[in-house]
Amino acid sequence: MKKENLEIGRKGEALAKKYLQKKGYRVIEQNHRTKYSEIDLIARHKGVLVFIEVRTKVGDQFGTPEESFNRKKINKLIWNAKAYITWKGYLKQCRIDAVCIVLDCNKTLKRINHYRNITWVKP
Amino acid sequence: MLVKVASALNLGLHTVAMEVEVNVAQRGLPAFEIVGLPTKAVAESKERVRTAIINSDIKFPERRIVVNLAPADVPKQGSFYDLPIAVGILATVIGCKLPERSLFFGELSLDGTLRHTKGALLLALFAKERGVNNIFVPHSSANEASIIKGVNVYPVESLTQLVLFFCKQIDFKPVTHKENDSKEEVSEAEFDMSDVLGQEQTKRTMEIAAGGGHNLFMIGSPGSGKTMLARAFPGILPSLSEKESLEVTKIYSASGRIPPQGSVIKTRPFCTPHHTTSNAGLIGGGSRLKPGEISLAHRGVLFLDEFNEFSRLALESLRQPLEDGCITLCRSRDKATFPSRFTLIASANPCPCGYLLHPKKTCICTQREIERYRKKISGPILDRIDLCVEVPVVDIKELSCDDKAPDFLESSKVIRERIIMARKIQQKRFSSETIYTNAEMGNKQIKKYCYLSREVSQILIKAGANFNLSARSYYKMIRVARTISDLEGVKEISASHMAEALQYRSCEKNENVHF
Repeated sequence: MKKENLEIGRKGEALAKKYLQKKGYRVIEQNHRTKYSEIDLIARHKGVLVFIEVRTKVGDQFGTPEESFNRKKINKLIWNAKAYITWKGYLKQCRIDAVCIVLDCNKTLKRINHYRNITWVKP
Repeated sequence: MLVKVASALNLGLHTVAMEVEVNVAQRGLPAFEIVGLPTKAVAESKERVRTAIINSDIKFPERRIVVNLAPADVPKQGSFYDLPIAVGILATVIGCKLPERSLFFGELSLDGTLRHTKGALLLALFAKERGVNNIFVPHSSANEASIIKGVNVYPVESLTQLVLFFCKQIDFKPVTHKENDSKEEVSEAEFDMSDVLGQEQTKRTMEIAAGGGHNLFMIGSPGSGKTMLARAFPGILPSLSEKESLEVTKIYSASGRIPPQGSVIKTRPFCTPHHTTSNAGLIGGGSRLKPGEISLAHRGVLFLDEFNEFSRLALESLRQPLEDGCITLCRSRDKATFPSRFTLIASANPCPCGYLLHPKKTCICTQREIERYRKKISGPILDRIDLCVEVPVVDIKELSCDDKAPDFLESSKVIRERIIMARKIQQKRFSSETIYTNAEMGNKQIKKYCYLSREVSQILIKAGANFNLSARSYYKMIRVARTISDLEGVKEISASHMAEALQYRSCEKNENVHF
């Protein structure tokens, strides 16, 4: 089961990367490990550094990927992003986005949504 | 990019300058923070500002925005920081220059329009004081601000309109200053004086009370018409003078009681708080100091029906404001002074059962009960009430004869004319003083303006010996006599005026009577 989840995650990340590239994002890093955890995707878009968190779920029965964000997880994303900025010495604008992906039971894409600037409103 | 927007902060009736500093940073994660001791309503304004800007079809910057409300140590309350914050953000988004020497003030609605905000008049006054040329206020509050001369009041309807104005794409004209037109506005009373049958003596006392702004105490059995008479009282009051109306409007603006599009208050306020009103409700208070009923009745009438039923604490707290005409409230965090120059009309029954003075019904109260009932109103309070009358029971026969009704009885309009005359005389008399009416005269002013001939002072001395007049009641009598002579349009106080004045002290008389 655990292995399967990892596989779904990797597949989602690949889908998200393709999706964002099509939208004009230049992906510069994938699965970057910081001291806290992993950043799924780091991209550049119109001069802004974008950290992307990808959430993938199979089917809608056990909640949507959007629901899986909570205060604690968003705080973690912020810590991660800040750690990366400090490490790189980056001094310009940045933001945190999310890509939520739902696959159907055959592991094919059912829907993909991109949410800009998710740390804006604190839940 | 840092933008500074000027605004102001209302603390009671006092306004202090405030600066809203909006910094939109070019680095870091997007965020929106407000610092500078915001209370809940102010902290929530970030949601209003953000939604209002987005709903005005303007892109909200995905940047780190920090808003500082300076001075940072004064707690900020109220919702009128929305507009200065929004203007600060818009100025950075659009990159336009804000008009110089301007104040911004107003609450935003989620759709980007502006809502009626309390205290616009105080802002306009403050702007004039400081020599600020332009103020931007919500369009529904512009009317009350426009009464101040020399300040351009811009009635802002929405953020879009403001942005177009900043970009010089539309012409935006300030509201024209409205002269306080001298057109008389008659206060709407529930009853006309001619509706009340009989009670000629009480009506005469009310006329004197209205003529000189004297406090009035009515004692009478239930159903004798005390309340009806008091409710007819606003009908005989003259409208506020320009200076007075500004004073009253200031209080009402600060407490948010001016309706949208409302302008100056011209009719005298008439407040009738219930006898369960708390101390803070009556004299003002609360953790954030608010004016109470006595301040809302400034330059008007405070009618306390069932005077004895008020809590003793509430009644005793009236002492100082009755004397000084203002009240200073002090809390550990706050201090505020509100004006409270009102005419007190109090009414009460003579005893708990109410029939003590009734010609036919017998009173069933014991002496002890009556004493306890009377004790509720302390001497110092009664001493501050210039006029005191017994309201007799009206004979049923008098009520039923309709034929003599309307033309025989004077209408409020006729009485009001006389009162306006008397007040004009007083206005002329006190033109060099800070007071407006006879009731406000202090001992010094009484000596200056109330010359008593020998005959008159003889009467007063005699009465003083017979009735045990206190020093305060001595001056009280002179004040009332002055008003009576003003109502007649006579320059000097005559013996008959003084004799009439001596009649209106039945509460003191009753104190000494043993039943």
